[in-house]
Amino acid sequence: MMSEKKELYLGYSSDKAVTPFFQEFLEALDQEKLMKSVCTECGTEFLPPRQHCQKCISLCELKEFTETEAKLRSYVVVDFAPESLTSKAPYVVAIGEFPSGLRLTAHITNLMSVPEVGMALKLAFEHIDDKKLTYKFLV
Amino acid sequence: MARKVAVVAAGHSKFGKRYDATMRELCAEAYKPIYDAGVTQDKIDATVLSYAASQFTGQGAGSALMADYLGLQNIPHLRVESACTTGTASLRAAWGMVAAGLYDVMLVLGVEQMNRVSSAVATEYMSQAGDMRWEYPYGISFPAFYALMASRYMYEYDMPHEVLSRISVKSHHYGAQNPKAHLPREVTLEEANNAVPICRPLNLYDCSLITDGAAGVVIAAEDRVKEFTDQPMWITGIGAGASAMMIQDRESLTSIPGAKRAAKAAYDMAGVGPKDLDMVQVHDCFSIAELIAYEDLGLAEPGKGRELIENKEVYHDSRIPVNCDGGLKSKGHPLGATGLSMTYEILKQMRGEAENQSRQIDDVKIGLAHNVGQSGQFVNVFIFERGW
Ligand SMILES: [Zn+2]
Repeated sequence: MMSEKKELYLGYSSDKAVTPFFQEFLEALDQEKLMKSVCTECGTEFLPPRQHCQKCISLCELKEFTETEAKLRSYVVVDFAPESLTSKAPYVVAIGEFPSGLRLTAHITNLMSVPEVGMALKLAFEHIDDKKLTYKFLV
Repeated sequence: MARKVAVVAAGHSKFGKRYDATMRELCAEAYKPIYDAGVTQDKIDATVLSYAASQFTGQGAGSALMADYLGLQNIPHLRVESACTTGTASLRAAWGMVAAGLYDVMLVLGVEQMNRVSSAVATEYMSQAGDMRWEYPYGISFPAFYALMASRYMYEYDMPHEVLSRISVKSHHYGAQNPKAHLPREVTLEEANNAVPICRPLNLYDCSLITDGAAGVVIAAEDRVKEFTDQPMWITGIGAGASAMMIQDRESLTSIPGAKRAAKAAYDMAGVGPKDLDMVQVHDCFSIAELIAYEDLGLAEPGKGRELIENKEVYHDSRIPVNCDGGLKSKGHPLGATGLSMTYEILKQMRGEAENQSRQIDDVKIGLAHNVGQSGQFVNVFIFERGW
């Protein structure tokens, strides 16, 4: 018998459309592993992952992303939020760039002041609640 | 060989919080001056009737409703959608049909009704134009995307926020002189620079308005133009561009890559360059967007756009007038109407009919409209030339 699929969603106000590929990503994230995807034909890497390669439209497979140190490429402090995140505002959204050049968009959750472009970020994980989980950055 | 196509008439509703109207009445307000100019329903072969987001109204099949309300129910219509470029995308689609000979005369009309929901709900709907799987869960609102560009721009070029506020001051200066504007009042530099934060580094005065409104134009094939006007505005350049869906994947945050590509294509097609322009309408959904547009359109070198606003070179009586109707900031930004509102303004200026002559630009022969969708995923650049 197949084990029961755990109900998981990404981020704070989640898209509820979860595919098997995305479910695999979420289950790894549940174990505090961030997965990138690698094209099985041409080897191109994607973060966040895609099931299909953007270059050759072949299938990709998930592989653990092991970089943990990023640099802040840009940021925004969201004061006036979309309705679904109103209670969370203000929050900081960052684009972090890893040494490989791969990038990730996530919140920075432990800032006491406005961030500075170029500052060092560290990849971290958080279980928001029972079903919601996320990757994030810490300074 | 494509036929030449001209804009022969245009109409524009009052922009604002229009609790006295819904999308159908707004459409009628924009079509009425066109009808009065002689383009009655029987003269129109086909239409493109568009709006960006059906969530705001709940109305499905909206182009059918719009056509019916305007007495065009038996004439072929379709809707084109591409976020905030919906207006110029509709014009681009119609241009293709007329240039190819499928139709001779087309009405192109764009509308948006955005104020029947709260600002937070409107912000929610617009955030759903980000990547639903990877961006939306992090609450990246429409201003947040542009704030990500602003943070990077201010860092790379060591620019203070005040430069952006100077753009808002100009927008409101001209909006105050435009009877169609949503928020027609002047603001001071101090007021603009110290306003309540929305998405830092952007504040309230860096952001365009959530507006209800409609605008429309009629285009005609060259051999039919004379039936409608002796003051046609030829469409001589059309460039379209696109950029990566996720903002993190853009090769630059200090420029909109698709806008540069669109501008080059439009200049090449028209055989003109930035120095030939007499007026420009840019997509200032945020103050930073106007600054970046100066550079993407070649009006200034990268990083030097600030000089245009600091030296007041973009005012109506100076070197290269930009958004002398108040722009999206003060005139307002009803998504689907915006690109056609720009087209309307260029026609009025060319004809010497700027609403409120205090902002009339002298002798406009060539005008450019720059219309950007979402955070740069869609861009249309149009070049128009005076035909008389
Ligand atoms: Zn591939």
